[in-house]
Amino acid sequence: MSTAQSLHQSRKRKNGVMMTLCVVAAGIGLAWLALILGALLYKGLSGVSLSVFTEMTPPPGDAGGLLNAIYGSIVMTIIGIFVGTPIGVLAGTYMAEYGRFSKLTTVVRFINDILLSAPSIIIGLFVYELMVRPMGHFSAIAGAVALSILVIPVVVRTTEDMLNLVPNALREAGTAIGAPRWVVIRSVAYRAALSGIVTGILLAIARISGETAPLLFTALNNQFWSSNLNAPMASLPVTIFQFALSPYEEWQQLAWTGALIITLTVLGLSIIARSLTGRREDR
Amino acid sequence: MKPMLSTDLNAADTTVEKAKIEVKNLNFYYGQSKALKDINLSLPERSVTAFIGPSGCGKSTLLRVLNRIYELYPKQSAEGQVLLDGKNILDRSQDLNLLRTKIGMVFQKPTPFPMSIYENIAFGVRLYEKISKAEMDGRVEQALKRAALWNEVKDKLNASGLSLSGGQQQRLCIARTVAVKPEVILLDEPASALDPLSTAKIEELIDELQADYTIVIVTHNMQQAARVSRQTAFMYLGELVEFDRTEKIFTSPREKRTQDYITGRFG
Repeated sequence: MSTAQSLHQSRKRKNGVMMTLCVVAAGIGLAWLALILGALLYKGLSGVSLSVFTEMTPPPGDAGGLLNAIYGSIVMTIIGIFVGTPIGVLAGTYMAEYGRFSKLTTVVRFINDILLSAPSIIIGLFVYELMVRPMGHFSAIAGAVALSILVIPVVVRTTEDMLNLVPNALREAGTAIGAPRWVVIRSVAYRAALSGIVTGILLAIARISGETAPLLFTALNNQFWSSNLNAPMASLPVTIFQFALSPYEEWQQLAWTGALIITLTVLGLSIIARSLTGRREDR
Repeated sequence: MKPMLSTDLNAADTTVEKAKIEVKNLNFYYGQSKALKDINLSLPERSVTAFIGPSGCGKSTLLRVLNRIYELYPKQSAEGQVLLDGKNILDRSQDLNLLRTKIGMVFQKPTPFPMSIYENIAFGVRLYEKISKAEMDGRVEQALKRAALWNEVKDKLNASGLSLSGGQQQRLCIARTVAVKPEVILLDEPASALDPLSTAKIEELIDELQADYTIVIVTHNMQQAARVSRQTAFMYLGELVEFDRTEKIFTSPREKRTQDYITGRFG
């Protein structure tokens, strides 16, 4: 065998080994995901019934539903998004548009990245000190604030990234026609980046709808129906946490069902987010 | 280069035609580096002037000074004077948005806004005029006709501007610029990203537009400069080497560097 041939053979062998390793690794990663989804579907689906969406969380040993927890999750997520999104979008706009060349932007981006990867339990503790202690009790509004603090860095990041993808030529074109800066941002840059920014918001919803730690310290939980923002409120993740650890079979079943509901919601949001980004790339 | 040369030529030019824009002792900097060196020239009204020269010679930079679009970026600065109808637009008191409604610009790559064809044109008009829907319809039609695009898009005005072909997009950009009724139109290599057929259309358009507008075109393509312009400025390394009537530049240039460039010896 000539040198060239043997080199070729050894390269082929290495390639084969590496490819096998990669495929196995990808398979392992996907297998866990499939197992989790499978277990959720298997254990959760059997508990899905109308009463899950119409009845309150039951006392131990009783039948019931998850209505108060679902309601609490939706309310706190919505408030969190409504508080966090404008702050995030405006901060991202500053970084990508007005302050693109400023030092402050670099600093803000750095801090934002830290916030993005900060453990959510720390956010929970922070809001506990900031709101729960002075107020003297747990409350839904404190939970919503904790969630909004988790929303901000996600939205800042995607807004900045998406606006940075808008070609400068488009900004120049808007400017060249005599449009003031804010009109260029509002009517040209936002429009061009819209689907990306919406994707960021959807991803933020997906992120906070499964958060447990920040809610444990802020909204706590509530066995009963409550729409009072100034009182403790139930939420799906915290209810799952509590019920899954309990020895009662009805509670464990509800935990599985709740987990399935959250997972399917997040999955749905991710699919919508993906299809929005996909459409942008098609264009 | 004798610094007075181009100024002398300008003097000769201005006796024939009224100058729309006069550039006097213009220097331009990207940070510390000097990109334009003591530029003097005057652009006659209602006629096409071409800026030619090799890459990096400063022709686009000079164009970008004329509507001060360079101010979008930090560390770029101009000194000297640019007179539009005798008024210095480099003056700090100059309102930039108003300046840009008077001096429109079309870029190398077509840049339709991410909105409908109709809105692409109405957008600029709406910024400074309050007019009725019927009047706006008229303005949009007129601008599209001016840019020779009306027949191709009249049935799909609500389609996205991005759905058009490259050549159509570029004409849409010209229509958008014309719609705000500027006095000067700056074209930064407007046909370099287009196929020959679209290029021919754009050139025809430029020829028609010069009846009403003062046009400045930057081009890499010397044949294009020869075809569309009445005056040509040859730039090299940030200097204005020669500025004269286009026939003169292409048949009997005064400077050796000009001759070398147009005969293809460098650039």
